[in-house]
Amino acid sequence: MKARNTRQEMPAERDRLQAGADSPDQGRRRLLMGAAAAPVLLGGAVAVPHQAQAALRTQARIVIAGSGLAGVATANRLARELDGAKITIIDRKEEHNYQPGYTLVASGVWPVGKVSDRNRDLIPAQVEWVREMVAEFDPDANAVITDSGRRIQYDYLVVATGLQLDYAQIEGMDVSAIGQNGLASVYPGPQAAQATWQAMDAFRQRGGRALMTLPATPLKCAGAPLKMTFMLADRLRQAGTRGQSTVDFHSALTNIFSVPVINAEILRRWQELDIPVHFQSRLVAVDIAARRATFADVAGERSTLDYDFIHVVPPMRAPDAVKNSALAWQEGPFAGGGWLEVDRETLRHRRYPNVFGLGDINGTGKGKTAATVKKSTPLVVQNLLDVIAGREPSQRFDGYTSCPMLLREGSALLIEFDYEDRLVPSLPAIQPLQDSYFAWVMKTRLLKPAYMAVAKGRV
Amino acid sequence: MYEIWLTLNILYELGLQYLPLIIATTVLWAVLMLLAVRRPQRRWGQALRPAVLVALLVTVITFFITPGLTQSSFANMGYWVDWGNLFLYAAAFGAVGGALAWPLLAMRGR
Repeated sequence: MKARNTRQEMPAERDRLQAGADSPDQGRRRLLMGAAAAPVLLGGAVAVPHQAQAALRTQARIVIAGSGLAGVATANRLARELDGAKITIIDRKEEHNYQPGYTLVASGVWPVGKVSDRNRDLIPAQVEWVREMVAEFDPDANAVITDSGRRIQYDYLVVATGLQLDYAQIEGMDVSAIGQNGLASVYPGPQAAQATWQAMDAFRQRGGRALMTLPATPLKCAGAPLKMTFMLADRLRQAGTRGQSTVDFHSALTNIFSVPVINAEILRRWQELDIPVHFQSRLVAVDIAARRATFADVAGERSTLDYDFIHVVPPMRAPDAVKNSALAWQEGPFAGGGWLEVDRETLRHRRYPNVFGLGDINGTGKGKTAATVKKSTPLVVQNLLDVIAGREPSQRFDGYTSCPMLLREGSALLIEFDYEDRLVPSLPAIQPLQDSYFAWVMKTRLLKPAYMAVAKGRV
Repeated sequence: MYEIWLTLNILYELGLQYLPLIIATTVLWAVLMLLAVRRPQRRWGQALRPAVLVALLVTVITFFITPGLTQSSFANMGYWVDWGNLFLYAAAFGAVGGALAWPLLAMRGR
């Protein structure tokens, strides 16, 4: 794929830019305005969510592919920051699911109703919502084609499609069977999370042999398989059946978490909890009725294990629309999964300068979490505003992500890290490797409100 | 600065979740204050000390019951950040208790 020239091939949007554009440092100004509002808000008034500021005037056509957290947060921010732009969000999903809550549902902490909201409550009125799915990207023609065949032109594109759970790579796997015969998987959605809890709840009454799995691909919420393991061990302990049970973790990799210090910490804790880890052991098949799982090692050697409970974590990849398009990485470690080829700092496409990526779809080293979206959405929106205004992107992403690691009912770790695997706690007082009630309260009580504020484009 | 803004937004979203309760509490407090103000023999100064005691009592009770109400326990208190946040949470409820008690106590007869 031939590299495109950023300057020469930019859409003619700069020419449409009208007088009255705001200064470039709007993000910083917003932050200061927010801080200035603090005393009023703390004084008892309900927070005023939007800060008054002049919007950038433009007639740009901006398409956002995807209505997950990244998509709706971007739509809300752009709707506020731009005056005259035609903003279109493409996604059929009516339901907006709080995915970070799935592990809480799947481990019996939350009722399932707490993770579902409606997209119509989150997508701003001035944004056109096309209730279809993007079937094809045609970045050379600045167009997307929906699954109904509709062609939508854009000047700027934000790809926020999320990713594809590739259960098909596991022979015999049937998502509709989750919850039965000890089959669990937290990832597909709220119902699967609830069914996973039903399977876990049934298993903990009797105990037995549990198998926990981890594939070799990049994962969204890479901590979820580990949280499920901790919570399963705790639920067995609470039920008094831990002694008659085994919990084995099978990782297709040579580790269980990409950040070495966290990896070592979790392994140390699992040793204490008597949870053996089998490295380079990849789940390749499952016989749901017979409760048998087949694993393959690096040499392809297969072994079959009986189980009473299994947590299946599917391989993950980019959705076909991205994977099969010119937007995907063409070579390197992210090409196989078809991930979006973005610069990891600006999150701008490396070959198509009018395209940005946000969230799980990005082919970057880290960060398929809501925390990454929280940190990177304002940055991408600012970079997009810069590009619309004819400037180079001004913001750089450090790869921040966060993983509130459930340890047991009532306690968690609050882990935050960046591209360089550095632990970067938001507040200096937070000790990332310390068992913490506060981290538990954060996870179970405070992060969903924070998520909603992100979705509405306020933080 | 960002963390302050984020915290305010979390409080705002939490407020939306519990809006009926917040409105009911605010209306109750306003009604009590109004009744107290209209009483000829109100004793604001004398009521302050017992109101603070009520606030302290509510704080202590909230402090002890909150871990259980949040599906946790004191055994999960890891370090000072946990204790500090629990105390702030309890103190916030204590302040509400004190604010409600103050006009009631001010209306008490001799």
